[in-house]
Amino acid sequence: MRLHTKLTLFTVAATIAVLGLFVWQLPLLMQKIASDNTNKNLREQREKALKAIQENGVNYYLQGDSAYGSYSMLKDEYISLEPYPRGTGWAKQKLQTAQRIIDDDTITYRILTDTFTISHQTYLLEIGKKIASIQQDSIALQRATISVLIVLTLIMACIQLFYTRHLLKPLGRIIRTRLIKKTFPFKEPRPALATSTYDFKYLDQSISQLMQQVNHAFEKEKEFTSNASHELMTPISIMQGKIENMMTDPDLPANAVLKLEDTMRIMKRLKKIVSVLLLISRIDNEQYNRNDQVTVKPMICEVLEELQHRADEKSLTIEERLLGETILYRVNKDLLFQLFYNLIHNAIRYNRLNGSVSISDAYQQNRYVISISDTGIGMDAGESERIFDRFKKNTSQREGFGLGLSIVKSIADYQGIRIEVHTQLNQGSRFELLFSENHLQK
Amino acid sequence: MRVLIVEDEQSLAMEIEAALQKNHFLCETALTARDALNRTDTGSFDFILLDIGLPDRDGFWLLQEIRKDHTDTAIIMLTARGEVEDRIRGLDMGADDYLAKPFSLLELQSRMQAIIRRKFKLNDNAVQLGAFTIHLKNRTIAYQETEISLSRKEFDLLNYLLLHKNRPLSRMQLSDHLWGDNADDEYDSNYIDVHIKNIRKKLHGYADTDWLETVRGVGYKIKTPS
Repeated sequence: MRLHTKLTLFTVAATIAVLGLFVWQLPLLMQKIASDNTNKNLREQREKALKAIQENGVNYYLQGDSAYGSYSMLKDEYISLEPYPRGTGWAKQKLQTAQRIIDDDTITYRILTDTFTISHQTYLLEIGKKIASIQQDSIALQRATISVLIVLTLIMACIQLFYTRHLLKPLGRIIRTRLIKKTFPFKEPRPALATSTYDFKYLDQSISQLMQQVNHAFEKEKEFTSNASHELMTPISIMQGKIENMMTDPDLPANAVLKLEDTMRIMKRLKKIVSVLLLISRIDNEQYNRNDQVTVKPMICEVLEELQHRADEKSLTIEERLLGETILYRVNKDLLFQLFYNLIHNAIRYNRLNGSVSISDAYQQNRYVISISDTGIGMDAGESERIFDRFKKNTSQREGFGLGLSIVKSIADYQGIRIEVHTQLNQGSRFELLFSENHLQK
Repeated sequence: MRVLIVEDEQSLAMEIEAALQKNHFLCETALTARDALNRTDTGSFDFILLDIGLPDRDGFWLLQEIRKDHTDTAIIMLTARGEVEDRIRGLDMGADDYLAKPFSLLELQSRMQAIIRRKFKLNDNAVQLGAFTIHLKNRTIAYQETEISLSRKEFDLLNYLLLHKNRPLSRMQLSDHLWGDNADDEYDSNYIDVHIKNIRKKLHGYADTDWLETVRGVGYKIKTPS
């Protein structure tokens, strides 16, 4: 999952969780607040009532009656004053929720009860507030709070999402410009990322430095291969010249000639390895043009002619079933020849006696496919994965794939040709070369 | 024929010289571009074998300098670089041929022979081999008026032996020429025998082929009286 998606999901989930918790706890909280508030209110009213009684005298309220009671029109609040029976002692000030009957209505009140003494007479004071009205207040408050809260949280979440998005933009840019579709070797260094976030800047710099280091190492390797190969060419030339000159000496005994031939053979092997290294290094250095056009059939026929003697030796049947006039554009003639040569050579070399090699082509959608299949020894899955590696040897064979297929791979990559290998041990192999539209249009 | 070898690697120059002298070329060696220019200023050469990598000047520059005054001289470039662009550049600047190191001295001589044939228009000349006539340009071999068909490789083989006539060539040298860089060690030298056998079989029906000799332990050679 992408980082941005993760963060978005997290923000949404966290918001929902916080909101849920709040909505769940809000009634309790509100009730507590309302109840505390009511209690406080009742106490204040008690103070006021006592003050009024002190000022006006208790008789002002009792007016000869033994008790006094007053309530508001909607019975939301009431106050009552009555003498407290003697002998019951002091009652402590207390808050309670209890029912009272007022004008035949049974109503639940939050009640403050207190006793006070005036002129040796103890009175009981009760101040009540209707619970229903407290709750109504609290519910209205709850609703308002929840709506405001939802709106605020949503705004917060949106801000968070947009900001994260903005914040993560450089990361996206790093991935897009530095990592996606990057093929080795990395070309043209990109300008440094413009961001105020230090972490991204650091990441970008580090990636770019690593790329440069890899590039540098690769360049070094290329240079080394190329230089080493060049440097080896002259000494090989000298040795070859010396041996050739020695061999022309008519007085040379026959066994010396044989020894010289042997030396020459070894040198040829050396020469071949060096030239292959040089070839690959030249491909790596892009020293071959890719502007030739090649008609497939004649070129493959030429390759087949070159290799006919080898096919004859194994009594192979060579089937060439090419369509004919296909022309490939934007390729290198020499490299393409080498590519066909190596593949067909392998098809012959690793074939069995009286086997066959078949070369055919076809158009598939927008692509052109040349396939070279043989009835040879084939490979198992493990081997077929490694065949394009330089110097990897297939131990079960007399000769390794050595550099042959590695050249094939380099050439194919260089010209944008895809290679697919289908093979089964002891059943044979089929190499498919896939040419894209780019190679088919002038 | 006079040959100037411009090559900073003295041992290589010596080997080239030794090989060419056997073929009756008169050789001089220059190890530097300056030395080479001194020699071309005072004398004229039929061939200049020019190494591109010289210590004092760029080989391409030298090529241009020499070409200014010597339009008839055949110049063959020798180089360890072998890049395609170098080759094209050299040929564009007036080199007649190009050999990448390491090259075989036989190959060098073949190229020189080819240039000589071109220069003296020897292409059409038919070469007589016993009772057979070889047309190098048409790549045909005939007995009296009957043309005998040889495969491309067979003709190449015969042609190469003829070019180095009276000199035994080993199977390896022959396979090196026929298959070049694509030749396999040991493997292809056996085909030389097969090809020679086929050539003899094809020709033997018409006349003797004793001019095509097997040299024991070495290889083959074409023997001509001249």
